[in-house]
Amino acid sequence: MNQELLEKLSECVEFGKINLASPYPPQMKGMPGADEITKEALEAGVTPGEILNEALISAMNKVGQKFSENKIFVPQMLLSAKAMSASMIHLKPFFANGSVKRKGIFIIGTVFGDLHDIGKNLFSMMVEGAGWEVIDLGIDVKIEKFVEAVQQNPNAVVGISALLTTTMVHMKPVIEAIKSAVPETKVIVGGAPLSAEFAASIGADGYGKNPQEGILWLDKISA
Amino acid sequence: MKQFIDQILQSPNVAALPIMTHPGIEALGKTVRDAVTDGNVQYQAIQYLSDNFNTTACTSIMDLTVEAEAFGSKINLPENEVPSVLERLVSDVDSVEALVVPTLDKGRIPQYLLANKLAAENIKDKPVFSGCIGPYSLAGRLYDMSEIMVAIYIDPETMLSLLSKCTELLVNYCKALKATGTAGVIIAEPAAGLLSNDDCMVYSTAFVKQIVDAVQDDGFTVILHNCGNTGQCTDAMVASGARALHFGNAIDMEGVLKQCPSDVVVMGNLNPVGVFKQGSVESVKLETRSLLQKMAGYKNFVISSGCDLPPHVPEVNIRAFLETVEAYNS
Repeated sequence: MNQELLEKLSECVEFGKINLASPYPPQMKGMPGADEITKEALEAGVTPGEILNEALISAMNKVGQKFSENKIFVPQMLLSAKAMSASMIHLKPFFANGSVKRKGIFIIGTVFGDLHDIGKNLFSMMVEGAGWEVIDLGIDVKIEKFVEAVQQNPNAVVGISALLTTTMVHMKPVIEAIKSAVPETKVIVGGAPLSAEFAASIGADGYGKNPQEGILWLDKISA
Repeated sequence: MKQFIDQILQSPNVAALPIMTHPGIEALGKTVRDAVTDGNVQYQAIQYLSDNFNTTACTSIMDLTVEAEAFGSKINLPENEVPSVLERLVSDVDSVEALVVPTLDKGRIPQYLLANKLAAENIKDKPVFSGCIGPYSLAGRLYDMSEIMVAIYIDPETMLSLLSKCTELLVNYCKALKATGTAGVIIAEPAAGLLSNDDCMVYSTAFVKQIVDAVQDDGFTVILHNCGNTGQCTDAMVASGARALHFGNAIDMEGVLKQCPSDVVVMGNLNPVGVFKQGSVESVKLETRSLLQKMAGYKNFVISSGCDLPPHVPEVNIRAFLETVEAYNS
């Protein structure tokens, strides 16, 4: 029974079934979604750790893989992430009381001057689905806000996003300020105009060409 | 524009058409804000580039906020960066239903029409191409880009209604751009490149086609630009009926040329950042030559930047690009 619920939940996340009301995907219309199944699983005695590790993380891994293989695209990925978030809401109390451990804290924001957030949103949801606690600082994030966040969470990993060529150059002073405040902080950058060479030139520790690459890098440094 | 298309298809030479206005703005000592708010300044930048660079055609600014602003969106207008939309304008079926399609006297549209009119009147030795945003990319700016990606599955009827309103404005705007005397319009639809081919057909192509059907003729070419397409939605771009398609640097151009009909002009796709902005003269020459050699034999190929050249591209790199094309042609 419990295994069946975990499989159903995993399927909801993989195919983006958020809740009962959501009409997507058509073949699951009228069926309970990640929201209802998570509630049912917890009531049935499935542990939050099992839900996170055996349903959510494994489903989001499949989603990331399909995205990197061009089998699904941004809308399907965002729907999966929304389904995952609908489940995660029920797990938050267990994260707060420490009964479920996550892989670490990931602070993310769009560099100052840049208001484009689709890449940041997509990646932050994927990171959360990979088992990390995400602190989303939003768009147009000033240097001081990044520094304050790493000082409050000195073991966190930081992600910085930029879409514009005019704003990607702002990443370097942000990285310098973060590493000056908490030197051991690892920083990953991403965004359409960036490249691995550019990331290395500004002192970033990692570069995510796509969400899946970023997740693999995070898994590597947290192993 | 059949004349433009025919010239490309019949010429033994490869045409060079980088999409650019920022180098002209900078050469005039003006700011981006000056150019996106003042039609005279924008025209002067286009004229400067026409006078100083031997390109096949001129282009107006690829500013993807003009139409959203006309609808009522708040816009961030930094002095030396491209403008951006600050927040979503509509968020549900009620706000979409209440949305009024703006007239062409709203926001900065009159300044853009002025820039295009002045450019078309004064630049006689090469065609001038206008620019506008594509319907799906505009709808994404009005509804929020992340939210529209989900909403096309959760509430498709409302999104189709929003797209119809966006298209109504774009048809009217493109008709007005055509009336200024330009040779065509580059419709920038990058957000559709995040969709599958099937979704792109329903939520972009069907609406782009309405614009194409309304304005494209022998004297006015539609160039559909989609730099988000990594190869999955090229068929949907072809189905728009645009006589020319423009691709970004994320796509394999040879694959595209094999996929597109030979009477459709295919443009692309040198990296505007990695090659034009960050590259050296030597690396620009190398990348340009390499792309030309790969595309040899395709008479419908036009070499171009994969997107609008960003601010602060060195002029020497643009010259290196054009000199390499000239040397290749000779």
